[in-house]
Amino acid sequence: MTGLLADLTTANQLLPARLQMAFTLGFHIILACYGVGLPVLMLVAEWRFLQTGDRLWQKLAQRWSRSFAVLFAVGAVSGTVLSFELGLLWPEFMGRWGAVIGLPFTMEGFAFFLEAIFAGIYLYGWDRLPKRVHWLTGWPIAISGFLSAFFVVTANAWMNAPAGFRIVDGKIVDIDPLAAMFNVASGAQVTHMIVAAYMVTGFSVAAFYAFCLLRDPQNEYCRRAFTLGLLLGLVFVPVQMVVGDWSAKVVAKSQPVKLAAMEGQFQTERHAPLRIGGIPDPVARETRYAIEIPGALSFLSYADFNAEVKGLNDFPDNEKPPVIVVHLAFQVMVGIGSLMGLLAAGCLVNYVRFRSWPKSKWFLRTVVLMGPLSIVAMEAGWIVTEVGRQPWIVHGYMRTADAVTRAPGVWSVFAGTMSIYLLLGIATITSLVRLARVPLQEDLHGT
Amino acid sequence: MGPDDLLLIVMLIALTLYAVLGGADFGAGIWEFTTALQATDRERQHIYKAIGPVWEANHVWLVFVLMILMNGFPKAFAALGLTLWLPLLLTLVGIIFRGGAYIFRSYGGGPKRELLLWEAIFAVASTGTPLFLGAAAGAIASGKLKIPTENSLPSEFVIGWISPLAVFTGFYSIGMCAYLAAVFLTREAHVIGDEHLTTIWRQRSLSTGLWMGVLSFGGLVMVAIEAPHLAEGFVTRGWPLVIISLVCGIGSLIEVWRLNCSRAVIAASGAVTAVIWGWGISQYPAIIPPSITAAQAKSPDGVLWMMLIVILTGGVFLLPALGYLFMLFKGEQLDRKVAS
Ligand code: HDD
Ligand code: HEM
Ligand code: HEM
Repeated sequence: MTGLLADLTTANQLLPARLQMAFTLGFHIILACYGVGLPVLMLVAEWRFLQTGDRLWQKLAQRWSRSFAVLFAVGAVSGTVLSFELGLLWPEFMGRWGAVIGLPFTMEGFAFFLEAIFAGIYLYGWDRLPKRVHWLTGWPIAISGFLSAFFVVTANAWMNAPAGFRIVDGKIVDIDPLAAMFNVASGAQVTHMIVAAYMVTGFSVAAFYAFCLLRDPQNEYCRRAFTLGLLLGLVFVPVQMVVGDWSAKVVAKSQPVKLAAMEGQFQTERHAPLRIGGIPDPVARETRYAIEIPGALSFLSYADFNAEVKGLNDFPDNEKPPVIVVHLAFQVMVGIGSLMGLLAAGCLVNYVRFRSWPKSKWFLRTVVLMGPLSIVAMEAGWIVTEVGRQPWIVHGYMRTADAVTRAPGVWSVFAGTMSIYLLLGIATITSLVRLARVPLQEDLHGT
Repeated sequence: MGPDDLLLIVMLIALTLYAVLGGADFGAGIWEFTTALQATDRERQHIYKAIGPVWEANHVWLVFVLMILMNGFPKAFAALGLTLWLPLLLTLVGIIFRGGAYIFRSYGGGPKRELLLWEAIFAVASTGTPLFLGAAAGAIASGKLKIPTENSLPSEFVIGWISPLAVFTGFYSIGMCAYLAAVFLTREAHVIGDEHLTTIWRQRSLSTGLWMGVLSFGGLVMVAIEAPHLAEGFVTRGWPLVIISLVCGIGSLIEVWRLNCSRAVIAASGAVTAVIWGWGISQYPAIIPPSITAAQAKSPDGVLWMMLIVILTGGVFLLPALGYLFMLFKGEQLDRKVAS
């Protein structure tokens, strides 16, 4: 009876625990993107100021640094939540595997720390430090933001492609934390994520100032901010496509079942088609309404049109991820990536012909749209990665159901978290909007 | 001395820094809570200016302790996540609201009423966080934590951690934070030469200091009754730290009274440090007494050595940076320059 009760509670814990983890991570990751990307924009703006002596550039850097302060603090808070949650929600996961993948988290601790220290110096140092020194104190922020993303994503990559240990009689032996960090999936995943962070920052910033430009086309301040943001985003678009392809190849090798779910591939076949769109039907075991490009999937995954792609039908039922979610999320990410590709190409052509951004209002409107879309693409990518790994928390070694906490009340905690994060989200956005509304003139004379 | 002992030392150092630096930050908020009705705007500004540049960095120490625990002693990390989930969760809520409220108050630029709301939240969360974190520490120290098993009752998960010692340490840590903050703020007020503020904070330091002295004695009695294992550790090993704590505590009061502010700060920090090390050393080698010891919970030695290398390398970057931060914003010279 008690055994049964325990079973019931574990089953009841799993869903809310996963939702809780997904929601808090999904929230944190948006802020983390700005933590990685905004320092780069601040550095560029301040560098232009140092070069030209134009106060407008300095203003730009200063106002961005204030938004950064808000985003960084909320990012730090939501990140602290995550480090607690690893113990609170997944004690079995951490208790068993902490020795293997703890190292990147420890390293990440240092990177955060440096970022927090230099954020303090940079934010409060505008009047206290010589100009050039102040600019230099921005560098460690950008570098440690980059590094923290690097470290933490290696930990996630390890969950996809576990390495650096052996199992003997159910015990973990021969732990090699470095081999665990630098597993098969790390390279592609880390690069893809960091590039995504720059893109999200770039497009969000560009979107905001595109909105301003739509109202006030002559505004010099907005034009500069817009240009910097959009450049950061666009430059990385082609890079991201190449890296995304690399990611897919890694997944094909290390997690074929995830690849099959991403592509809605039910049959094992040679010359497998690439499906664009479509809705997988797990009962009928086929993907309908998709545009199929024959052989393209085999080629993209294995660089050979005739390579065999393993389909979902060939995996046991208890090892398949939820295919609809994974396939749709993947389509969303790639779809948005392709849209961005079109935008980048359009801008390039226009630049070659006219040496400027396209003049039309529709161009600005498209950029406004790209801000939210870049975030959607990033979240969709994570859904592909995380949901596509199910039912495993550590691919092939530990099931998510075996990792979850036995403590009660996870549903209530989840409900509480939702409301607190709602408040946090609203307050963050309100603060950012208010910061942006401070009239420039007033600001130029103020602090 | 194995790598696990070295790592425990590192963890204790980080915990100490969190208690002293983060504690002073929390304390500032606690003072806002307790003086909400009387404090003038000027006093509040004094508090906010003092924490501004450093609070974010001060709070990473906690993350750091967690990361070491997770990587170096994963079994202890997992056990704490299970048994202490409630106080830890409440701590977490406190951390969220505190950080959020601080930043929205400073940068939000909302109307007056909204600022007041954030101030209130900041104050309450600053009090709640050390309460629950302290209670979690007390629950560990009590040696009565039961690690839940397959057939534990749900209630054990919820209230199993509550014990007289846990309740006591919860309030004790509030007092500790308030005391630290009062001494730190006396110094800041003195450095910028604000006599009015200096008098206020000096008085507050003295009164909380005396109370903390009384509470500390009470705490020792409490430990003797409630946690015999820990008490034995104190008698055999921890006692010099009790003396150090006593000396530092009394010393800090004297120095506050004579307005030797920097010395007072050092002595007050020393008193808190001695309390934490006294606890750690007396409880050694248990991490969660009685059942989980360092030797049981630790990762393999290879991993621990690797961590130590990482920590040493990281420290080479971290410590100078941290020193620079404090020199910039807490150095007396500069403060004078800005004030004048
Ligand atoms: C701005 C965001 C963004 C954009 C435009 C793209 N991605 Fe992406 N993608 C991510 C943001 C992202 C991400 C959120 O950052 C993920 C989640 C985990 C990771 O490492 O990156 C991701 C994961 C991810 C994965 C799964 C990796 C894994 O499970 O280990 C694959 C196969 C791709 N991506 C492939 C692509 C392709 C072929 C794209 C072509 C346009 C693409 N992504 C555009
Ligand atoms: C280093 C980074 C990350 C780590 C260590 C990590 C870890 C985890 C863990 C432990 C779980 C719960 C177990 C599971 O369901 O497999 C989980 C689930 C999940 N995470 Fe991640 N995660 C990371 C990044 C992210 C990010 C940035 C997102 C952004 C959206 C995300 C989205 C999700 C989702 C959607 C789930 C639920 C999957 C499901 O249960 O079906 N993850 N992750
Ligand atoms: C399980 C996963 C994660 C955990 C446990 C975690 C933990 C944390 C913690 C504790 C902080 C606060 C540090 C501080 O106080 O400064 C933080 C901030 C940060 N995290 Fe996460 N994090 C996770 C996922 C991620 C991911 C996937 C990224 C990817 C880019 C990321 C990037 C950052 C960055 C850049 C910061 C600095 C704060 C900012 O710039 O907003 N984190 N994280």
